[in-house]
Amino acid sequence: MNLLFRGFALATTLALLIAVPWVAPATVVQFGISTLMLATLAQGWSIIGGYTGYASFGGSVFYGLGSYGTAIAMIHYHLPFGIALIVGGLVAAIFAVLVGLPVLRLRGHYFAIATLALAQVVPAIVSNLDIAGRNIGLILPLVKNDALFYEAALGLLVATTVSIWYISRSRFGFGLMAIRENEDAAAAMGINTTRYKIQAFAIAAFFSALAGGIHAYWITFIDPGGEFDISLNVKMIIMAVFGGPGSVLGPIAGAFLLSGISEILSSKISSVASLFFGVVIVVAVVLMPHGIADLWRRYRKLGLRYFSENIRENRV
Amino acid sequence: MVLLWQVLANGILLGGLYALMALGLALVWGVLNIVNLAHGAFIMLGAYVCYYLFALYHVDPFVALPAAMIALFVLGYTLQRFVLNLIIRAPMFNTLLVTFGFEVVLANLAQMFFSADYRTINPGYAGANFALFGATIPVARILTFATGLLLTAGLWFFLLKARLGRAIRATAQNLTAARLYGVETRHIYAITFGLGAALAGAAGDLYGVVSQINPYIGGSLTAKSFAICIIGGLQNPLGVVVGGIFLGIVESLTALYLGPTYTDVASFGILVLVLVFRPTGLLGRTT
Repeated sequence: MNLLFRGFALATTLALLIAVPWVAPATVVQFGISTLMLATLAQGWSIIGGYTGYASFGGSVFYGLGSYGTAIAMIHYHLPFGIALIVGGLVAAIFAVLVGLPVLRLRGHYFAIATLALAQVVPAIVSNLDIAGRNIGLILPLVKNDALFYEAALGLLVATTVSIWYISRSRFGFGLMAIRENEDAAAAMGINTTRYKIQAFAIAAFFSALAGGIHAYWITFIDPGGEFDISLNVKMIIMAVFGGPGSVLGPIAGAFLLSGISEILSSKISSVASLFFGVVIVVAVVLMPHGIADLWRRYRKLGLRYFSENIRENRV
Repeated sequence: MVLLWQVLANGILLGGLYALMALGLALVWGVLNIVNLAHGAFIMLGAYVCYYLFALYHVDPFVALPAAMIALFVLGYTLQRFVLNLIIRAPMFNTLLVTFGFEVVLANLAQMFFSADYRTINPGYAGANFALFGATIPVARILTFATGLLLTAGLWFFLLKARLGRAIRATAQNLTAARLYGVETRHIYAITFGLGAALAGAAGDLYGVVSQINPYIGGSLTAKSFAICIIGGLQNPLGVVVGGIFLGIVESLTALYLGPTYTDVASFGILVLVLVFRPTGLLGRTT
């Protein structure tokens, strides 16, 4: 019964989301596209950051490589968008494997910093490449069809989520969680930790890159500052952590909620919107470090004591 | 040859300031195991304290140094005491996120109150310089270099000799033992974070003398400070001096031979290489 109800709720939500471009005004559709992209990025981050426990600050690199890969394949090699998109995704996944080999040997802070450094280095290199249009950027063929991009972004989010759902129930997914809980113990249990981590990194990169590719074609003009935007890392991490990293639907909930609130705020007082982001991060991490998903499960039992218990658990 | 010597001199002088920038980050990291992503924002605030004291009351930046340090100490102490202490035992990622939240809040508040305009601090000696073996050495830079090294040495002696400094080192080495000897942990944590912020404030004050400031310089300064900590290693304050000067020279050389757009590639490329091949830093002991 419960399962049936859940399935029904999911199907209804999905149907409503699909219907948006036909009923909602253009601004809502545009807001929808960027929210769906951010949700995809949050989901991608959740694979490496949530399930595997490796706090990556390098998601923007994959997003940017995806959008540049797609753009270059379309402009210089005249490939159709669908194939170019896959090319972009593969470029990012291959890059993730190559970079992951050395970088995923690092743990904790060191991994976080190395990825943060990558997020600075890669755009600097791209802005010196002739094929990528240097600092000036690239212009893609113009397609004015927001509904199409909306459905593409939605399809990508669904594909990402289904993949994560599948991973979370697979041997691979349990391996990743074992690495998160105790990497040495996981290795002792016979998990090939290096291979698992690199695979997780590459899968995360692939989905983030597809989001970047769709974004490039939608926005039609890309430059290093916009596509490798370092604040994207922050957004995807906050959305995933706020929603509940390592849960299938948590990061989506986080992305929808935070994008919605920040959109409403920025339409009222624009300078307060990003300030709000900062405050939400601090408050959310202090009061509900396990995300909305955990809050949802345990708040009903504990009430307000839920927050004080979280604090008691972690304070000095 | 003169050009190379000039570039090396620039790099070394910049390195003294870099060392001071990274020192507070290294202190907080080593003692509290918090990588403070708001460190650059603290530096930015220190620079604004200096800027407003200079612009409104004509206070010399080197005289304003204690004011910037005290203001940032109070801010750091408060943030650690009332926010970070609540989550200090959570997984490291949570402290990373919270300090990131601080950075966002501080940068946006700074933009609201100070505006996004670039500011410069121009004391009377801003253009003064002298020649040393053919290289031009700006007076302001040599003063920031000396102050940076002086404060680094000061912190070293403080940690080594002072009672409070010993309590901080004891907490870093063994929390339980320190508590048993009567160290008040919450207070020591807040003092340490406050000291880190005060050093950032001092670095900001000096940064304002040699460079332009705006509310958004924090992010890249945090990243630079990281790079310096990693390159030098966290074991002793000498590490950040070596790391700072090393990074200063690398940046100057890259700007000369490859072009200014490659300075970030070079410094972060070195960071990644050091992380992968020598994670304990250039000075660190290999086990």
